[in-house]
Amino acid sequence: MTFLNILINASYYVLSAAVSLILIRNIIKTRDAQEAVLYCIILMPFLLRVFHIK
Amino acid sequence: MFVHAGLVLSIMVIAFIVAKWAKVTTELSMAVAALAGALFHTKGIPVRHLVEGSFNYFDVCLIFITATFFMNILKESGAVTFMVRSIVSRFFKHRYLCLLLLTIVMLVPGAITGSGAATVFTVGTLVGTVLTCMGISPNRTAAIIFLCAAMSAAAPPINLWAMMAAAGSNMPYVGFTKPLLVLSVVGALLSMFILGARGKQVDLQSALAELPESPTDMNWFKVGLPFFVLFALVAAGRIWPFSMPIVGLPLMFILASITALLVSPHKLRVVEIASETIHSLIPLVGIMVVVGMLIQIMALSGARGLISLGVVTLPLSVLFVTLWLILPVSEGLLQYAVAPLLGVPLILLFNMKGMEPVIALSAMATMWPLGDCLPPTAVVGRATVMELKFKGSYTKDFLKTCLVPIALILLMCTLFLVFSNELAFLVG
Repeated sequence: MTFLNILINASYYVLSAAVSLILIRNIIKTRDAQEAVLYCIILMPFLLRVFHIK
Repeated sequence: MFVHAGLVLSIMVIAFIVAKWAKVTTELSMAVAALAGALFHTKGIPVRHLVEGSFNYFDVCLIFITATFFMNILKESGAVTFMVRSIVSRFFKHRYLCLLLLTIVMLVPGAITGSGAATVFTVGTLVGTVLTCMGISPNRTAAIIFLCAAMSAAAPPINLWAMMAAAGSNMPYVGFTKPLLVLSVVGALLSMFILGARGKQVDLQSALAELPESPTDMNWFKVGLPFFVLFALVAAGRIWPFSMPIVGLPLMFILASITALLVSPHKLRVVEIASETIHSLIPLVGIMVVVGMLIQIMALSGARGLISLGVVTLPLSVLFVTLWLILPVSEGLLQYAVAPLLGVPLILLFNMKGMEPVIALSAMATMWPLGDCLPPTAVVGRATVMELKFKGSYTKDFLKTCLVPIALILLMCTLFLVFSNELAFLVG
C-alpha cells in the first residue's frame, strides 16, 4: 500500500512535468502574444509543483 | 474598511473594463484586474498571494486537462464516430429512440470533462450532421447542440461550478450526483425533444455518407473498455475505501487514456493530441488559474467580503425572483469566476436560512452553463456556431431558438431552489 501511494504521488509529479513540457512547447510555437502570456501564467503553478517548491 | 474594500473593488472593475476595451482577452483582463487591485492594496506586487491564488483550482485544472485528453484520444481513435454511426445505423427508423441515444452521446463528454466546449468539439459536429439528416433546421440543430453541451457541463460527476463553489465554502463535493443528474438529463431531453421532435425519418444513406468513416476493426469492446477501466477505478475506491489507494480522478483519466491507446485500431500521435488538448483548453484552464489569483487578492483586500456581505443581506424572495437572470448573465460576463464570487456567499446564505445547500448549489450550477451563449464571452455558443459552420445570425436565429428551452430549464432550477428542502431526498 505504501509503495502504491509513493507510485501514485510520483505519477502526479510526472503528470505535472508532462503538462509543463507541452505548455513550453506551445509557448514556443504560438505567434499570439496574449496567448503566450496566458501560457506563462498557466505554466507557473505546474513548474512550482514539479520542482517541489509548492 | 468598507471604503477601502469598495475602492479596491472599483479599481479592479475599472482595470477589467479598460483591459477589455483595449481588446485584451477575458482571462488576461482578469489578471490585469487582480494585479491592479493588488498594487493598490499592498503598494507593491504580492507575489506570494498571486502564487497561492494560482494553486486554488490546481486539482480542478488537472482533472480538466486529463479528462479532455481522454475524450480526445477516444475521438482520434475513431470510437466516437463508431458510436454515432452505430446508433444511426441501428435506430434510424425510431426517431425518438435515436434522439434519446444522441442526447446520451452528447451528455457523456461534458459530464466527464466538466466542459461544454469539450462536448461541442468532440461530438458536436457528428451529432449535428445526424440531426440535419433528420430534417431539423440549422437554427434548431445549433440550439440543440449548445443546450445539450451546456447540460453536459452541468451533468455529474464533474460540475466545475459546483466544485469551485463547494471548495470555496468548505463544503465537500459529495451528494451532488443525483440532483445534478436529474436537472441536466431533464434539461437536455427537454431541449432535444422540444426542438427536434418534429422532422422526417433519418435518411440513412445520406447520414452515413456525411459522417466520417470509423476504423474497420473498431468494435463495442474497444469503445467500452476505456470507460470500464475508468468506472472500475471510481467504483473500487468506493467499494474498498480502506484497502484501495487514493488514485485521484486525473490519474484515473490517464489510466483510461492508456487503455484507449492500447486498444486503438491505429497508432495515435499522443504528443500531438496532448498539445492540441492543452491548446484547446487554454481559455478554460487559463481562466481557472487567473480566477484563483483574483479571488486571493479580493480576499486579501476585503473586496470579496464586501460582495459576500452585499449578497447575504438580500431577502430570499428577491434572490428567487432574480437569480434565474443574474446567474446566466454573470456567467456570460465572467465565466467560471462567478462560482467562487457569487456562488460561495449565496450557498452560505442558503445554508444559514435552513435550505438544503446541495440541492440549492446543484440548481445554481445548472443555471450557470446556460449563460455560456451570452456575450461578451459566449464561449460555448461561439464554439457551437463555429463547429457547425452556422450561417444565420447569432442573436436573431441561434439565441432566439434557444430561448424556450432555456426558460424551461431556468424555471425548473428555480423550483429546485425554492423547494430545496422538499427535494433533500435526492442528496441521499
